[in-house]
Amino acid sequence: MDTFFQQFPIVFHALNVGFLQTLKLFAVTLLGAIPLGLIISFGSMSKFKPLSMVVRFIVWIVRGTPLMLQLLIIFYFPGLVFGQQLWGGGEGGRFFASAIAFIINYACYFSEIYRGGIQGVPHGQQEAGQVLGLSKSQIFFKITLLQMIKRIVPPMANEIITLVKDTSLARIIALQEVIWAGQAFLKGSEGISGAIWPLFFTGVYYLAFSGILTLLFGWVEKKLSYFKA
Amino acid sequence: MAILEVKNLNKSFGRNHVLRGIDFDLEKGEVLSIIGSSGSGKTTLLRCLNSLEFADEGQIIVNGETIFDAAINKRPSEAELRQKRLHFGLVFQNFNLFPQYSVLENVTLAPKLLGKGSKEEIEQYALELIDSVGLKDKVSNYPCELSGGQQQRVAIARALAMKPNILCFDEPTSALDPELTGEVLKVIRSLADKNMTMIIVTHEMTFAHDVSDQIIFMDGGVIAEHGTPDILDHPKSERLQAFLTSF
Repeated sequence: MDTFFQQFPIVFHALNVGFLQTLKLFAVTLLGAIPLGLIISFGSMSKFKPLSMVVRFIVWIVRGTPLMLQLLIIFYFPGLVFGQQLWGGGEGGRFFASAIAFIINYACYFSEIYRGGIQGVPHGQQEAGQVLGLSKSQIFFKITLLQMIKRIVPPMANEIITLVKDTSLARIIALQEVIWAGQAFLKGSEGISGAIWPLFFTGVYYLAFSGILTLLFGWVEKKLSYFKA
Repeated sequence: MAILEVKNLNKSFGRNHVLRGIDFDLEKGEVLSIIGSSGSGKTTLLRCLNSLEFADEGQIIVNGETIFDAAINKRPSEAELRQKRLHFGLVFQNFNLFPQYSVLENVTLAPKLLGKGSKEEIEQYALELIDSVGLKDKVSNYPCELSGGQQQRVAIARALAMKPNILCFDEPTSALDPELTGEVLKVIRSLADKNMTMIIVTHEMTFAHDVSDQIIFMDGGVIAEHGTPDILDHPKSERLQAFLTSF
C-alpha cells in the first residue's frame, strides 16, 4: 500500500491498540505508586533510625539508576537466577514486570514529594489543633491533609506527566505499547513496511494525553486556590 | 480556692534549664500578665500549661484537680491529654488559623468534631463570638483575606468556642503592625471586663499595667518579681528596673 490515506486507517487502529496498553500501564502505575509512595514517605520520616535508613537507601538506589535498567533487571533477573520465568510468558508477563518496575520507581519519587508536602505544613497548625483538644487523626485528616495536597499538586502534576512519556521505556522489554506499535510498521506489519510516519505520529497521542492532564491539574490547582497555605 | 495553682515547675531542654521552680496561684476572673525578655521562659511556661510541653518537675492544679504532676506521670496518654487541654485555651503569636476554612468554620471546627452541642447551637455561639470580636461581616471570609489583627481576633473567638476555664495568650500582638495591635488589645480588654480568667505573655507594658490583676516578671527561668501592676511603677529588683527602662 502506498498512499498515506490508504495506510492511515490501519495504522490508526494499531496505534490505538498500543496506546490502550500505554494507558493501562499509566493507570496501574498510579494506582500502585500513589499509596505505596505514602508508605515509603512514612518510612523515610520514621523516628526509628534503622527503618528510615533502609528506606532512604532503597530510594537512593531507585532514584539513582535509570528506569530502563530497572525494567531490564526486573524482567530478566528472576529468569537468569532461578532458571524460570517469574512473570509468566507473553504480553501479560511483560506487562506485569513493567508494572512492578514502574510502581516501585514512581513510588520512590512520590514519597519524596509527599515528605516535602507533609513537612511543609507549619508545625503551628498541628499545635493549634492540639490545644483545641483534637485527636491526632482529626488533626491529620481535617487540618493537615488538604494543606499537604495543595502543596504537592504542582510537583505531582510534573511527575505524572513525566510518567505518561516514561511508559514508552517498557518498549525495551517489548511491551506492545504505542511506540512498539508505531515501530512495527518500519519493519513491516499488516502489509505496510518501511513507513516511519507511524512512529512519529505516536507523538500526537502523548501530546493529547498530557494536554488533558495539564488541564485537569490546572483545574485542581484552581479549585484549591481559594486558600493560601 | 484558686482556679489555677502552679507548683515548682521545672523544665529543661537538654542542658538548658528553661524553667527553674515556677510557683503562682490565679483566682477565677483574674488576669495575669507575664513579662520578661525573650528566652526568660515565658512561652515555655504557657506551653507547659497547655500540655504542648511537659515539665520535668512540678504540678499544675486546675479547680483543685491535679491535671499534671511530673512525679506521677510525665507523659500522659493521648486521651488524657485531650481532656486536660480543654481547661486551657491558647492564642498563638502567629495566629495559626486553619487556612482552608472560613472564619466561621475555624471557630466551629473543634466544637463540631468534639460534639459540643448541636450544629445549630455551635454555629449560633460561634456567630456570637465572631460578633463580639467585631468581625460579623467577615464570617465567610478566609484567613488569607484578613489582616493580621483580624486573624488574631478570629483566633481568640476560636479559642473561646471551646469554653476554656483559662485563656492563654502567647505574645498576641508581637506579629502585628503597630496600628493593628490596638484592635486585638481592645478585644482582650473586653474579655477582662467580662471576668474571663487569662494569662497573657506580652511586651505591651501599658496594656499589662491597665488590664492585669497580677504581674509576673520572669528572668532566667525564675519569677524575679511578682505582684500587682504596681511593680511596674515601683520595681524592687534591679533586673526589672533594667528591663523596664529598655522600653
